[in-house]
Amino acid sequence: MEMTKDTMTRRRFCQLASSGIVLAPIFALASQQPGAGRLTARQVVRRIRQHVGVPWRTPTADDFKSGDPDAPITGITTAFMSTFELLQRSVSAGNNFVITHEPTFWSATDIISELKDDPLYQQKLKYIEDNKLVVWRFHDHWHARRPDGIFAGWNRVMGWDQYTVAGATPFSHEYLIPETRLEDLAKEMQTKLNVHSLRLVGDPDLKVSRLGNAGHYIAQCMNLLPRVDAIMVFECREWEAAEYVRDAIAVGQKKALIQMPHEGGEEMGMDECARWLQTFVTEVPVKFIPSGDPFWLPA
Amino acid sequence: MTGEELIDRIQKNVGVPWQSQRPDGFPDGIHIGKPESAVSGIVTTYAATVAVMRRAVVSGWNTIICRETPFYSRGERAPIAYRNASAPPKELTDKDPVCSFKQEFISQNNLLIIRFVDNWDARNTNGQLRGLVRALGWDHLSQNRNTDYASSAAAFQVRVASLANLARNIAEKLKIRAARVIGNPQSSVGAVAVTHGLVLVSDVERILREFRPDVVVAGDAVEWEAVPYFQDLVTAGRAKGLVLVGNEASEEPGMSEMATWLKTFITEVPVEWISAGEPFWTLRSA
Repeated sequence: MEMTKDTMTRRRFCQLASSGIVLAPIFALASQQPGAGRLTARQVVRRIRQHVGVPWRTPTADDFKSGDPDAPITGITTAFMSTFELLQRSVSAGNNFVITHEPTFWSATDIISELKDDPLYQQKLKYIEDNKLVVWRFHDHWHARRPDGIFAGWNRVMGWDQYTVAGATPFSHEYLIPETRLEDLAKEMQTKLNVHSLRLVGDPDLKVSRLGNAGHYIAQCMNLLPRVDAIMVFECREWEAAEYVRDAIAVGQKKALIQMPHEGGEEMGMDECARWLQTFVTEVPVKFIPSGDPFWLPA
Repeated sequence: MTGEELIDRIQKNVGVPWQSQRPDGFPDGIHIGKPESAVSGIVTTYAATVAVMRRAVVSGWNTIICRETPFYSRGERAPIAYRNASAPPKELTDKDPVCSFKQEFISQNNLLIIRFVDNWDARNTNGQLRGLVRALGWDHLSQNRNTDYASSAAAFQVRVASLANLARNIAEKLKIRAARVIGNPQSSVGAVAVTHGLVLVSDVERILREFRPDVVVAGDAVEWEAVPYFQDLVTAGRAKGLVLVGNEASEEPGMSEMATWLKTFITEVPVEWISAGEPFWTLRSA
């Protein structure tokens, strides 16, 4: 297996390095890419920190979650969610370094203390180790970048940079779009964003020209809804946005809600991330792999 | 009977030691309104929406017992592991036209809004679970491994051709449009575990240990927690599907159970369940 050869190479390098003998050409065997085999995940992260354009924060979720940061990498996968399936697809693509926007171990900060005895955790961890994967999370600083890397990607896919209303704040984006029926707008979003589990509140025939991206929380919804025809949210608890918007409609306001899967709101930002990485990581391939909408709707 | 007397009577009948304070968020009890107000009629519902409150007022009933409170927040003072937003700040709700309308409607109609969640769920028979299982039409299934509904989950052996079939049956039984499913639609499934409300990773772990189901049915899940956890279970071959029916659809039948239970010890005023209804539609249901 390719990965095993890498490990052997790395172990041997350590032995040789410690004995004062370094044979750099060994690394050339690790990959066909010139220069690959020398570059490590930690070096890539160092470059990211140099290029991201915002001071590095502490504490941050942006850290190594699994694997050896100092092992040579074969290629980079950027992804929204490092699901088990996504990791398998990264291995198939020959990329052993996964840069994920969202957690790997199912909590906001990848807390593993309570998962030690969980058989799924053990299985996923074993897969990561067996395949010499390195997983690093890139969330806080990709959002902190100006413009926000996630929404830069979203705007690009929607073609909506031109419709952005100036003065929007992070997670409170406003758009002035050509007037569109709510149902048609939702269809356009599903197609462009490659998701299929949008849920809606409001009249399908409502004409929408002012749209607000209210992110995740009720306070963001209350900030935006009075100014716009419709808000969209993703990964928002169901007792927040949906109840608020249906009450707004009940009191006579012409409003609507588009509730997306989390991927619909943010996944395209990791495609943007791959394009950005390619401008300063040239030694190994960099590829965005979609983890995709987790859901389907019953017929 | 006053609001205060109603709470007293619920506390006397609930059958478990009353917990009056959650570590975070809103406690059970009178949420809005005066304890000395006379109760003219009681509505149980998933959420005190504008539509539910109007229907209560039209019927001449002033007391609403709800799972989700009127102002779109569970009141967490700080987000719990980022799952829940903190309550919106007062300066925001004060100027919000929807909140203002509701606030005025509540005070003009002298409504009593009562939260009854944690102590109801703590009863020896979980009414939320029993209501959901009955709504699914599964309470007669002989393989029910939790017939007394002593916890928040139960498991059943169902006869369906596939996960897609099961999901369609569930959507029909609950009369919902926006169920969401994880898993291969063609998977053959038999053992199904049911729970209500928001399902966390620790809940899924417990349900898997206890029932070893092919499928879990729940209300909703956090999309960076139990959702990818379940995707990974499917990839790892450890489970076949997750059906999320929506928080409202999973909790509403239990609020009907609550009305039935309240009627066993409240006879002087009407007690009725009013469904808040599923908030969503989808492009598939349009």
